[in-house]
Amino acid sequence: MLMKKMPARIESLHELLAFIRNEAKKRGFSEKHLQRIELVAEEALVNVFVHGYTHKEGEVEVACLGSDEPAITIEIRDQGISFDPLSLADPDMQSDLADRKIGGMGVFLIRKMADRVDYRREGDSNIFSMTFLNR
Amino acid sequence: MEIAVTNETDIAIFAIKGRLDAVTVPELEQQLNQWFEGTGKKLIFDLEGLDYISSAGLRTFLSTAKKMKVRDGKLCMTRLRDNVKDVFTISGFIALIPAFDTLGAAQDSMR
Repeated sequence: MLMKKMPARIESLHELLAFIRNEAKKRGFSEKHLQRIELVAEEALVNVFVHGYTHKEGEVEVACLGSDEPAITIEIRDQGISFDPLSLADPDMQSDLADRKIGGMGVFLIRKMADRVDYRREGDSNIFSMTFLNR
Repeated sequence: MEIAVTNETDIAIFAIKGRLDAVTVPELEQQLNQWFEGTGKKLIFDLEGLDYISSAGLRTFLSTAKKMKVRDGKLCMTRLRDNVKDVFTISGFIALIPAFDTLGAAQDSMR
């Protein structure tokens, strides 16, 4: 298992995404898959950056599991406020332009593009995991 | 990310290259805010060079579409790559902003 820990700030995004992309690439994912993995990882990470630590600095830890499988599981761990992204309702897809809202779109894309997602709270940590199958 | 803005007659074309994500989106917003200070009513997003878009980028496209509606203007996009089109399709945003295969078709739609 490979792990990377960085400050939970937007400035960490590109380095964390490059790490995740590289791990997925090692597992043989196609370019099309890599783009989706990167997108889903960005949405999950930005959630942590924006909502995780509202009044203090914190860290985020990314682990890539499943190196022996044709799959990758990305675990994102933070010690911010307890928050389950999967508890958010889907955005309203039917409303017209004037009423259309962006809230919840990130989580919606995560749900649509990852093969499996899971949230759990362990002690003082949020652990959000996303699995992609290579097929 | 790189943004090149050209004004051909009364149509502004924003050619966006590279990655449109949570890190780079403020740059686009700044350019758009500047453009919205003018009175232009026709805007095309040329996405031929756009490699990647996340919900941060979608948010800016949505707010641009809303502002254009308020000033009774026209907004469209053109030359979306497959993976970018995917994100627009899955999010449902493809129904909110007209998309054209060629720049010429996008320009024609503005006339």
